[in-house]
Amino acid sequence: MSDQHCPSCGSCGFPMRERDDFAGGRPDARYCSTCGNDDGTLRPFDEVLQANADYYVRQQGVDPAAARELARALLASMPAWKHAAA
Amino acid sequence: MQSTSHPTSRTLQRAATRRQLLDAGLRVVAECGFAGATTAAIAQASGKAHGTVFVHFRTRDELVEELVGEIGSAMSNRLSETTSSEPGLAEVVDAHLAALAEHEVIYARLLDELSTLPASARARVFALQSGIGWRLRQAYERALARGEVRALDPVALSNTWIALTNHHLLNRDLFAPGASVIAARGASLKSHLLDITRR
Repeated sequence: MSDQHCPSCGSCGFPMRERDDFAGGRPDARYCSTCGNDDGTLRPFDEVLQANADYYVRQQGVDPAAARELARALLASMPAWKHAAA
Repeated sequence: MQSTSHPTSRTLQRAATRRQLLDAGLRVVAECGFAGATTAAIAQASGKAHGTVFVHFRTRDELVEELVGEIGSAMSNRLSETTSSEPGLAEVVDAHLAALAEHEVIYARLLDELSTLPASARARVFALQSGIGWRLRQAYERALARGEVRALDPVALSNTWIALTNHHLLNRDLFAPGASVIAARGASLKSHLLDITRR
């Protein structure tokens, strides 16, 4: 389990394999296309939070308010937000 | 002139120690569950001093979060590795079953103990499940466009699949005592899901 086959987004943990998975289609980006801007930088926390909450709602039908709390808990454990998402 | 090799070596050593602690943590969780994965047990399994754990992880929760992240990343990678760019439903299900089979023991532990773990663990599991749901949905919608499947709520379809697999993993001692429940029951679960979608 120690071998990482592809990089993960530093903001949400999404595995980035294809070029389109990376912010701005830049393979050197630290963030995925959902969490990052086209120039590879990180989007504001509230936008990332909502985008991740929407993913839970869209794919699993999680209640929107509960999805925001799930997303908040997820981001709080990620390198990009560990010290800022509280 | 000051050498720059020493800091690099220390950085590498630090990363290696952290890796050893995580690998030991994963072994301990597989064997004893998260409840048994105390920092002392992980230190012992890694051959490191107990205090070394806290050099790398401020709290046990932080270590647990890292372990759950490792499990999620490994399974996500497995899922994305196996599928082609436009996989069919059967291929997505096969990829998920392969990821589950590869990580069956530790993932079943994670599901079983989820309510006792930090909130981020549940969020990671749901993120992983959303990834599976997304792949299933993409495959289902392609099949629907080709007229190969009947109209269904794609969220209900993916939640059905997740519920089926999680139920069998959580009760693997009943469905496949002493064996892999995915190896024993995966094919019939897959058939059931595909039957649901047939016109």
